[in-house]
Amino acid sequence: MPTGESPLEQFAIKRLVEFHIGGLDVSITNSAVFMLVAIALVTAFMTLGMRRHAMVPGRWQSMVELSYEFIAKMVRDNVGTEGMRYFPFIFTLFMFILFCNLIGLIPFSFTVTSHIIVTFIMAAVVFLGVTVIGFVRHGRHFLSLFVPAGVPIFLLPLIVIIEVLSYLTRPISLSVRLFANMMAGHTMLKVFAGFVVGLGIFLGWLPLAFIVALTALELVIAILQAYVFAILTCIYLNDAINLHH
Amino acid sequence: MSEGDPPKRSNDFDERLRQLRERAPREDKAVQGPDSQSRTAIGFAFRIGVELLAALLVGGGIGWLLDHWFGTLPLFLLIFFFLGAGAGMLNVFRAAKELNRGD
Repeated sequence: MPTGESPLEQFAIKRLVEFHIGGLDVSITNSAVFMLVAIALVTAFMTLGMRRHAMVPGRWQSMVELSYEFIAKMVRDNVGTEGMRYFPFIFTLFMFILFCNLIGLIPFSFTVTSHIIVTFIMAAVVFLGVTVIGFVRHGRHFLSLFVPAGVPIFLLPLIVIIEVLSYLTRPISLSVRLFANMMAGHTMLKVFAGFVVGLGIFLGWLPLAFIVALTALELVIAILQAYVFAILTCIYLNDAINLHH
Repeated sequence: MSEGDPPKRSNDFDERLRQLRERAPREDKAVQGPDSQSRTAIGFAFRIGVELLAALLVGGGIGWLLDHWFGTLPLFLLIFFFLGAGAGMLNVFRAAKELNRGD
């Protein structure tokens, strides 16, 4: 484009510090930096918020306790008390995604979760972890997940294939949902920001008003998608632990 | 620091609490109106779309891979595309059932 930058420019990965180990490119990119920022902020948010250990929590400590209890309740409701063993993982996942999404809303920052490879790796870890947990807990019996009860014998092969396909769909739908939401929202914001400049001083602030509304919507989506990722992880874990759909 | 001070303050507190309680339900309604409902509806619609698409991708991908191995290009791709569509329907059906349970 002759004037300005493309709305997709924001997703570009830039190498900040070049690093090569044994032919592998492990440079520190802007994506890696923002992941580290998210981790640092989550750690600071949790530890500094709980620093006072007050019996009656202040505002900050309330936020920390609220997020803790929110996820704890989600795990207990969806997986049962058995699932509380995996609570630290789900809580970490939720806070990391939430902070990555929220940091991405700050102008000039980078949204880690708008890259499908990042969300896919998280979904793949969940998927593999849940499968391993299922096999460890139930052994070969875990495969009964793919054989629904009360199906006529001549339909069984077809149903089993469809069930397996449906199971394999999980990491894809889990990762695409988060990635598509973040990327679409951020692209839309940039496109409308381009309209503001293009329409000039008289009409330009119509799209500007729209951007304000859109930013509020993006804030909701950022929180909602972190929540959806966490609750779907809980649902998958429930299948593996309690063995029923 | 007179003796009448503490009861007066607690009266004041009760009064404030009562006023706040009167105001609170209305504020709650304002925050959680039909707006939050429609937002989850949009999220749910999006979920169904992704569910269908992902199943088609997985089905098509597996079919293409099998064809790649056996050298029978359109055969397994077609079969697994439709199986993937079936799996997508199944996923959507389950998602809808979850939503009904949540209500």
